[in-house]
Amino acid sequence: MTTARFTAAATLTTALISALLTSAAAAQAQSPDQRIADLERKLERSLQVIDELARRIKVIEQPTTRRDDLPTGQNARIEAVELQVSQIVSASALRRGADSGVPIHGFADVGLGTSTGGTRKGFTIGSLDLYLTPQLGERTRALIELVAEVGANGNTVVDLERAQLGYAFGDSATAWLGRFHTPYGYYNAAFHHGQQIATSVRRPRFLDFEDRGGILPAHTAGIWMTGGIRAGSGKFTYDVWAGNSPRIAGNVLSPNVAGSTNHHMSTGANLGYQFGGVLEGLRLGAHALRARVDDDQTPLNTTTVNIIGMYAVYDTDRWEHIAEIYRFRNRDTSGGNGVRTSTAGFMQFAYRGDWLTPYARYERTVLDQTDGYFSQQDAGASYARAAFGLRYDFDMKSTVKFELARTRVTDRNLGAYSEALLQYAIRF
Amino acid sequence: MKWICIGGRVARSAVLVSLLACHQPAAMAADLYVIAHPATRLAAGDVREVFLGEKSFSESARLTPVDNFAAQPEFLSRVIKLEPGKYSTVWTKKSFRDGVNPPPLKSSDAEVIEFVRRIPGAIGYVSNAVPGVVMVGKF
Repeated sequence: MTTARFTAAATLTTALISALLTSAAAAQAQSPDQRIADLERKLERSLQVIDELARRIKVIEQPTTRRDDLPTGQNARIEAVELQVSQIVSASALRRGADSGVPIHGFADVGLGTSTGGTRKGFTIGSLDLYLTPQLGERTRALIELVAEVGANGNTVVDLERAQLGYAFGDSATAWLGRFHTPYGYYNAAFHHGQQIATSVRRPRFLDFEDRGGILPAHTAGIWMTGGIRAGSGKFTYDVWAGNSPRIAGNVLSPNVAGSTNHHMSTGANLGYQFGGVLEGLRLGAHALRARVDDDQTPLNTTTVNIIGMYAVYDTDRWEHIAEIYRFRNRDTSGGNGVRTSTAGFMQFAYRGDWLTPYARYERTVLDQTDGYFSQQDAGASYARAAFGLRYDFDMKSTVKFELARTRVTDRNLGAYSEALLQYAIRF
Repeated sequence: MKWICIGGRVARSAVLVSLLACHQPAAMAADLYVIAHPATRLAAGDVREVFLGEKSFSESARLTPVDNFAAQPEFLSRVIKLEPGKYSTVWTKKSFRDGVNPPPLKSSDAEVIEFVRRIPGAIGYVSNAVPGVVMVGKF
């Protein structure tokens, strides 16, 4: 019992005893009627005292005073003290967090395949992807990703896939600086090396990595601002970035991450809307990218690459549908080739069943071979590919996929081949 | 005496009926309480976004959601409305793309309460209401 409550109880007891004793003494010297009347009056007063004391005890026993009842000044002081305590505890908690280590996540995949074409057959090692997401402070972020892959010559190559340091201004804006996955469209930034979270065995060929058949700069060294703003039941998302323009070296697109050799900038933007409510899972977006790309020929060819694109994604517990289209309008700025237009796109449909996830994908590119940007790239030929696959999840983190694909090269070196691929992918 | 006995039986029956009546809904849907650190300002409508990594800040404070292994299936089904596998994949994608970490997983109500009381911006869910934290919502 607190001192205040003890004092109140003692006062109440004393008052009761005093009232009773006084009443008894006075009653002996008076007539019975007067004594009864006096006793009634005194009893009434005693009851009033008891009521008053009971009220006071109730107030004392109240656990906390409501913040609204306090005077304004006192309220402000309490809030200031709360803020200071919060900051001290926060700093302490963050120090403890830093001591608990850096979160490491990763992906790995292996597989085997056969083909009717000249591509490699047999067992393959995909990649080992390790990425770290240390929480450095309230608003500072870092994302470091290392990928070890076996190259075509059998040598293992370790690549600093991403090295980006960021600062979160809030939910609506985070700024990143460093090397990042270029956030055009949806697929490139959403899956990239994460084969276990991607439904299919492979990326769409034209969206593959620069050194594996991709025709777009999958990586950028530069600055990237990203965020989301709630609107209605959904959310607008945006990405705006600027970085080193890529170049074509050895007939392969290079993102120029070691510093720009051509002193050109690439810029891009991606605006999307994530639906909520009954349309939750649906995401629509549009994006644009502009870059000045040199090659390593003599004389030097320079192309101003202009890409605009759109994407639609429907991703729920059961369905995953993705469609993306890219429209190129490239200008030859070093010769007299003018403006050349090309198109690339894919559609993928998947149903996540209780046991298996069947999926189908069709991809197609129509790339103008008089456009230096494509003609100088080994992977710049037009093609069409149809693929059908089945995915089975052993558990949440390990998956096996089987895919049959038919690819038709529609210009440069005409031809067609079929493939059967098996992949075992994990995440950790 | 006979009346008392009959009264006793009636009383016992009433108690049994009341217990059954109370027990049935409780078994079907025990309440989940979403709690937050005392200095955290958050609306019940924000809970789903926080646990899906879509909302990381409340006013100027960073939010730190924490999962409760004991109550997670019920929480995912009732509040997040996602299957556990999908929830895990959502966070893997989020972490991979945006560099944010998924909620740490605590094993019990007690661990969640301790975490929420200690870490500013922490938000978790437990099966019983507790003092010393902010009650964000009851689901």
